[in-house]
Amino acid sequence: MPEPIYLDHAATTPVRPEVLERMAPFFDARFGNPSSTHRWGREARTALDEARERVAACIGAQPDEVCFTSGGTEADNLAILGGWRILKEGGRRAVVTSSIEHKAVLEAVHKCAREGAEERVLGVDSTGTLPMATIEAAIGDDCALASFMWVNNEIGSVQPIAHAAAHAKAHGVVFHTDAVQAFGKVDVDVRKVPFDLASISGHKIGAPKGIGAMFLRRGTPLEPLFFGGSQDRGRRPGTENVAFAVGLAVACELAASEREAIVAKYRALRDQLQAGICAGVTDAVINAGGAERAPHILNVTVPGADGESLLMALDLHGIACSGGSACQSGSTGRSHVLAAIDPSGQVGASIRMSVGPLTTDAGIARAIDVFTKLANRSRGMVAA
Amino acid sequence: MSGGVDSSVAAAMLVREGYDCVGVTMKLFEDGAELPDRPCCSLDSTSDARRVAQQLGIPHYVLNMVDHFGEDVIADFVSEYARGRTPIPCVRCNTFTKFDDLVAKADAIDAPLIATGHYARVADGRLMRGVDEGKDQTYFLWGIKREVLPRLKLPVGDQTKVQTRQVARDLELPRVADKAESQEICFVPDGDYLTVLKRRLPADAPALSRGPVVTTDGTTVGEHEGFARYTIGQRKALPGGFGEPMYVVALRPEDRAVVIGTREEMMGREVRASGTNWLADAPAVGSTVGVRVRHRAPIVPGRVTARDSQSVAVTLDTPVAAITPGQSAVFYDGDVVLGGGFIE
Repeated sequence: MPEPIYLDHAATTPVRPEVLERMAPFFDARFGNPSSTHRWGREARTALDEARERVAACIGAQPDEVCFTSGGTEADNLAILGGWRILKEGGRRAVVTSSIEHKAVLEAVHKCAREGAEERVLGVDSTGTLPMATIEAAIGDDCALASFMWVNNEIGSVQPIAHAAAHAKAHGVVFHTDAVQAFGKVDVDVRKVPFDLASISGHKIGAPKGIGAMFLRRGTPLEPLFFGGSQDRGRRPGTENVAFAVGLAVACELAASEREAIVAKYRALRDQLQAGICAGVTDAVINAGGAERAPHILNVTVPGADGESLLMALDLHGIACSGGSACQSGSTGRSHVLAAIDPSGQVGASIRMSVGPLTTDAGIARAIDVFTKLANRSRGMVAA
Repeated sequence: MSGGVDSSVAAAMLVREGYDCVGVTMKLFEDGAELPDRPCCSLDSTSDARRVAQQLGIPHYVLNMVDHFGEDVIADFVSEYARGRTPIPCVRCNTFTKFDDLVAKADAIDAPLIATGHYARVADGRLMRGVDEGKDQTYFLWGIKREVLPRLKLPVGDQTKVQTRQVARDLELPRVADKAESQEICFVPDGDYLTVLKRRLPADAPALSRGPVVTTDGTTVGEHEGFARYTIGQRKALPGGFGEPMYVVALRPEDRAVVIGTREEMMGREVRASGTNWLADAPAVGSTVGVRVRHRAPIVPGRVTARDSQSVAVTLDTPVAAITPGQSAVFYDGDVVLGGGFIE
């Protein structure tokens, strides 16, 4: 079999060599604990502070507005639960989100509901976008917190975060955005968009798994999820992961500086892939095709095909992509995002392909070829 | 690949023979997390299957069969108990899930053969009993489509369980070699099928409601808390004081009665089976076949007295215990499985 082709960059990306190189000393001579007062500690503390400054600079924030987390899920949980638990004291009871959020947000909102919140899960239109009218109707003076993702991880639709954040601000509602898929692809700048909280994740942009960050605008109330030492101003106790924080900072800087170039590059590759698949599989449906989309994600439904079988066949032919939302056992279930944009539940195989640093023109050409063949022959083989 | 020793060894043997294998684990129900020690479907056993596949150098996938399994197997299991029968879900799983739905998945990846860790053999397009008399699983396999037989590979069917465990050790699969095995129904925790029924039947379902215990002459001798708690041949939880052992001999959903009788009344010679499936030419009326009416029961000779496209009737040469509606009657010619049906 020829070299397998990785088309699952929305799931994760390889650690960039520049990142790994800059992290290496912190596994070695510069191993200190940033809380220690001696030279090893000072050295680590300096590196951590610098990393925080550099991550902050990438999004136009102040260093004290950046909190390192173990990743996107922790950042989402900290923002939503940590926000809700303080805000509820002020008497506002509603927590607003959308039906297409990542599970890290949806489950955190459900947890708020179990703690007394009134949960408002807003529906999206058929392109996977939140209508402004829906947002305006749902976010009012009774709301404590609202959380909408910037870019949907399954279909790539871009949400109207600038408008939503402004509307929330006007009503005194704390606004969080899950920017895990957005950072590096859209302009995430806290000076331009008035969100209060945001989540980013390292491994989507070439840093390791296990590091992320939460932006917390000055003055935004937050209760920590963990209790312990005073690290990160008590917002996130526990000895800091210095090496990974440094890695995240390097990856963020690279992503920010390369953003315009890679957006153009990824969009061209994605559009090429989309055009090729639509030409070969004539009834293929591009999910969120009518929406403003992030450049790296393509989600296509092949009507009448079985998703699990098609994914398996693609992998066996060396094309790695994903379908639905993966559960812990590794099997796939019906995607809640696709269910939200098509409640009638069209029977078909929905496959997400996402381009990134490993994607080449030749890879796209072969992916089109293999996908077209497998998709076309898989039809009529759906188990009754 | 369930993560158990049999399917792991089956995969390993085929890889050793040079087959280009793809490992799959079927996720059959959602209770895996609550049932950590299940023989399959739990996260632990799925991980074991994945690790074995990794060790063998073959791809591995977890296929989500939850919807179909729920309809074809679990829903039927519940409705059978609700109408006073004693189902065998493993038969329906093999018939509908493993050797039908899974075959469709195999087709989708151009896999010409399907292999499992069943103790049974296939030769010349015929299904035959496994070499290990105590492990033979043909009782559960009669329902598969005849045209699937030439595509089946059952590598462990030619050896004993002891040999299978030895092969696991020889092939360096220590993770699974000494795994305890379970004879339980995979989706029934701790053999407690009543919990499954209670969760899926209305609280006032007749099968779970109080009813009379009657003798074969119609005398009411006690009460029970739901006929779904009983199966033919059962002795436990019956009223005493009869001077000889009494057994459940029938369940009558129409008046919720559990009918009890003597051992003699529990024995029978007439086997009627419906929903028949033949894996060889169906036996002619008047011919003699071997009949098994329960897993691991002896195979006894009987004469076919009637047969149509969906059912068969056989009179056994000697009476056997507890011919139970809902269980399978499987017909043999020596080691060859002719077919089977559900006992009426």
